[in-house]
Amino acid sequence: MALVSHLAFSETDVEADADVIVVGSGAGGASIAVHLARAGVRVLVIEAGAWRAGSDLPSSAYGSMRDLLDNWASNLTMGRAGWPIVQARTVGGTTVINSAICVRTPADVFARWQAETGVGGGLADRVWAHQDALERELSVQEVPAGAFGRSNTLATEAATALGWHDHAMRRYVAGCAGSGQCIQGCRALRKQSVDVVFLPEVRARSGVVWSNAPVDRVVFERGRAVGVRGRFRDPTGRRGGRFVARAPRVVVAASATHGPALLRRSGLRGAVGTGFRAHPGSGVIGLYDDPVDMNTGATQGWASMVMRDTPGLKLETLALPLDMLASRFPGFGAAWVRQIAQYRYAAHWVHAVRAESVGRVWSGPFGQPVVWYGLDKADMVRMRDGVYAVARLHVAAGARAVMPGVAGVPGVIDRDSVGILADGPLDPRAYTGILSHLFGGAPMGADPRASACGEDGAVHGVEGLFVADASMIPSNLGVNPQHTIMALARCVGDGILARA
Amino acid sequence: MLWGVPRDAPLPGRRGGRVNALIRHTMCALIPSGGALPGVAECGVDAWIVRFRAETSVMMWIGVVAGSVLFVLTPVWTLGLPVPSLWLGPERLDAHASRLGASSIYPLRQLVLLVKMMACLCWGVDPRVRAVFALAPYPPDPGTWRS
Repeated sequence: MALVSHLAFSETDVEADADVIVVGSGAGGASIAVHLARAGVRVLVIEAGAWRAGSDLPSSAYGSMRDLLDNWASNLTMGRAGWPIVQARTVGGTTVINSAICVRTPADVFARWQAETGVGGGLADRVWAHQDALERELSVQEVPAGAFGRSNTLATEAATALGWHDHAMRRYVAGCAGSGQCIQGCRALRKQSVDVVFLPEVRARSGVVWSNAPVDRVVFERGRAVGVRGRFRDPTGRRGGRFVARAPRVVVAASATHGPALLRRSGLRGAVGTGFRAHPGSGVIGLYDDPVDMNTGATQGWASMVMRDTPGLKLETLALPLDMLASRFPGFGAAWVRQIAQYRYAAHWVHAVRAESVGRVWSGPFGQPVVWYGLDKADMVRMRDGVYAVARLHVAAGARAVMPGVAGVPGVIDRDSVGILADGPLDPRAYTGILSHLFGGAPMGADPRASACGEDGAVHGVEGLFVADASMIPSNLGVNPQHTIMALARCVGDGILARA
Repeated sequence: MLWGVPRDAPLPGRRGGRVNALIRHTMCALIPSGGALPGVAECGVDAWIVRFRAETSVMMWIGVVAGSVLFVLTPVWTLGLPVPSLWLGPERLDAHASRLGASSIYPLRQLVLLVKMMACLCWGVDPRVRAVFALAPYPPDPGTWRS
């Protein structure tokens, strides 16, 4: 093991050994790493992105895309519509750029896993126990009233008017200042992202973090994973030395896209790359008579699960920065200028579809993940219902008009005409959608022919290789996934400790 | 001047300068000034394009170039005028932008939207723009990382 606890780059070749190698430093990777480190395991965390903390974090959306998002968020789904796949490439992973929303894994999810994949005997209790601990460690609390802001308040009023059950979000935030900078990374360090909380602890417990170190392959010897290899590459594209890390156990926690792509590059087949799922979503802008100033207050503070089961939607507020949201205002040229002039009067709320459509992940010619994914008709109906539901919320909150961002319907719809969205198009190309919550690609299950790993994360048929992130989740959750990912990763860690 | 771009602007060569000028033309057509709001042309777009070209991914750059080239070549389709958009007056340029952006052809619409998105990244950080919306100026993006 190297003497330094963080190696950001090396011009020369590097070799190291550890008890466990964790590929990826996001919600899953950092959670299992700190769990193992606390048990005295020598952990080496290897992250493709750079470590940007506090004063390194960008302010603008441009800076966020350049410094934090994977490939400038230009990874698109292959299918009928090319929707951006939003995930981070930085130490801390997507926990650096998300809104730190904490939702416990619903019981129905475990019941479904057990029925469909044969996993889950006692898993729910273990996951929930870890979620108890995580909530204490990460200072989970409701968005304080002082950080709520007018956009979240309007959503609360709308839900009350409609009789929809709603709640203030619980988040991994210690004393939110309401700076509205979640997406650019919290410069105030209030958000308890794993780069702020877990990875420093890993280093303090004799663990090591390598950043700017994309892994090319998992290394196998006699059918057993024994390490990884790759080559340092810094954010400017400068190539450094090659690295080889060896350990008797390798944990892949590189996201639901990069993880399966890495495993396939490493020669694994079978169910690896299958079962990719997501929460596709889109946003609707409401225009109000009085200024909303949505960037004042928590980026996300309000949610409703009232449609989680039927039709399968989650509703949330989402205040995006001006430079990111401006292009969502309809029109081009002078027509766009007339619309963006109303920015202060706008609130942006979103829906996420609990989609049942399933895709695949491949490794592209340059090693990048290629995601084949499209929504079937039932999911497109949900997508349309989601746009309509958010538009109804805006109207209930007093919006005078909405901007649905749906091609084929007017860019601005007055409050009395939002009903036309109920009959909106079912073509995915008409929607300005994104994929934010990603699942599967190396799904867990009891049947090795239909799954990539067991519920302990152990990859079927390969000794010493584990999956511990969203890629092992075999179904859609219908809730924000970070809490589930972290707890599942710790369950995988429990299994590794039990085998040691 | 080369298509409105000063010859002494920090461009990466003549060919690169022309490509940058196409992007500038498209961005300025999509995000013009109006009322109290400056357009992207007044927000340092030339330097921004140079920086964007140096820093962005290959895929993103190809998309922006493709969107800009399409924008320049398609007035014959949107307006029935067989001229590049560079030759259009302000009103016709605006009509071209609106019609192309609302195209029923998905890849075309998405490419124009991509250029608009990138233009907004430049426009939305300008302190004068942010002041109009009562937003504080952004601190600079340090672009640094832990070593």
